[in-house]
Amino acid sequence: MRNTFRKMLATPYALFMALFIILPILLIAVYAFIDKDGAFTLLGNFKDLANEAALPKVVKNSFIAGFATSAICLLIGYPIAYYLTKAEFNRTGVLIGLFLVPMWVNFLLRMMSTKAVFNVLGIPMGMGTVIYGLCYEFLPFMIMPIYTTIQKIDKMYLEGAEDLGATPIKAFWKVTVPLSLPGVLSGLTMVMIPSITTFAVTEILSNGKLMLLGDFIYSLKAYNLNMASAISLVLMILLAISMLITNKFNKDGEKGGGLW
Amino acid sequence: MVRKIVVRLFIAIILILLYLPIVWMIVFSFTDTPSFSNWNGFTLKNYIDLFTGQSSNASRIQEAVVNTLFVGFFTSLLSTILGTLGAIGLHAIHNKRIKAAYSTANQIPMINSEIVTAISLALLFNIIASTFQISGGTWTETAIKLILAHTTFCTPYVLLNVLPRLQKSDNKIYEAALDLGCTPSKAMFKVVIPDIMPGIIVGALLAFTLSIDDFVITKVNVTSFETLSTLLYGLKSGKHPLPADIKALFSIIFFIVFAGIMILYSPKGKAKEAKK
Repeated sequence: MRNTFRKMLATPYALFMALFIILPILLIAVYAFIDKDGAFTLLGNFKDLANEAALPKVVKNSFIAGFATSAICLLIGYPIAYYLTKAEFNRTGVLIGLFLVPMWVNFLLRMMSTKAVFNVLGIPMGMGTVIYGLCYEFLPFMIMPIYTTIQKIDKMYLEGAEDLGATPIKAFWKVTVPLSLPGVLSGLTMVMIPSITTFAVTEILSNGKLMLLGDFIYSLKAYNLNMASAISLVLMILLAISMLITNKFNKDGEKGGGLW
Repeated sequence: MVRKIVVRLFIAIILILLYLPIVWMIVFSFTDTPSFSNWNGFTLKNYIDLFTGQSSNASRIQEAVVNTLFVGFFTSLLSTILGTLGAIGLHAIHNKRIKAAYSTANQIPMINSEIVTAISLALLFNIIASTFQISGGTWTETAIKLILAHTTFCTPYVLLNVLPRLQKSDNKIYEAALDLGCTPSKAMFKVVIPDIMPGIIVGALLAFTLSIDDFVITKVNVTSFETLSTLLYGLKSGKHPLPADIKALFSIIFFIVFAGIMILYSPKGKAKEAKK
């Protein structure tokens, strides 16, 4: 077969993925079930986690921050994505670029500047400022997938709906919204889980008062990799479940419009 | 009409909020104060000190810039090679199961939480270090660790940028090159690679920017090293978290990034892209 040569080219990256993607994940699964001395323990690390005094608060804060961030990003991001697909607001396409530029500015720098601005304005640090920072960081990840799905919607559908008597508002709710759901879903997955597992944002914008899951895992890393692995395993399983649900919604197997 | 104004206003407010901290920082990079509120008159001192190495953090900044660029360059190189070869191979594979497994594994670092990827790599590096009796603490060892870790999360983006180019390009050209007597590797370099070059370049740039911007995976796996991100993180709890020279440095970086993205998204850039 003359294809053999090209197929062979997949090998180096396949080996790389086996070593640096698959093996590390297997290591997490192994470390979650052994103790510090390497002896097997089925629930030991999970029990230790449950006994961590800080964990309930971390989980509660993560839920609050995760849901608030996703909701705010969706409420702000959807209208922006929608109007940016309209030529009257985004004639040259430069505007969408303006929403993406902050993504390329180091997020620590953005968070620290935000904090400095809040300090000047006299705004106290707390959950509110943390959620603000998370929205700041993740808003583009909500806008992009929704923007690309709405852009792909065939204009004929909307014209058809209006020809058949729907008002523009009705056509929006009956055509645009349902057809853009895959974008909304991938936006939500790109905002919700990353926002609760990011670390440093909370620390900076709450003056170290609050902790989300990401900060918690990072703090565990210093003294107990087994517990860090156990909680990482739980997170990965939750992520896998949410991916399965998202994929179910996108029945036709078409991706909901990735970020790139 | 009213709707138009409201929408414009809404977009403007969000953009202002997105840019306010950055612009504020840039403005105060032109005055001689570490704070964000006391304007001391316009000066280029921060920028001049930065380049002459006289500012308070100059040596740390220089070290961090060198380390960051070094890791970024080799990450970009390695992930571009791996990702391009991977994309060409994946495109030629027709076995559905292998294809699905390959793309799924490729997507794991993009979907997985960064902190989880970071911990998983830390476990791997720990094992490698203890098996081969390496301390992992020297400059070279840290650099290699970071390059490998960064390549892990950058290559997926390269692959996904190259793959669509391959899907658009005509398979028959490669076949024709073979029929006309090219060896497969020659056909690859003369026909396939030039055809997908735009995708490769975008992938390489993306890998470079992702690498120099990374914080979570770097912070978890770094030992004796400072990158721009870890340098910033180390400054976070100071009285003035962003000293004057740091403001100047990141203002420069911002202008470079801003110019780059605006060129990419400008109508002219789009037209060029379309021609390709």
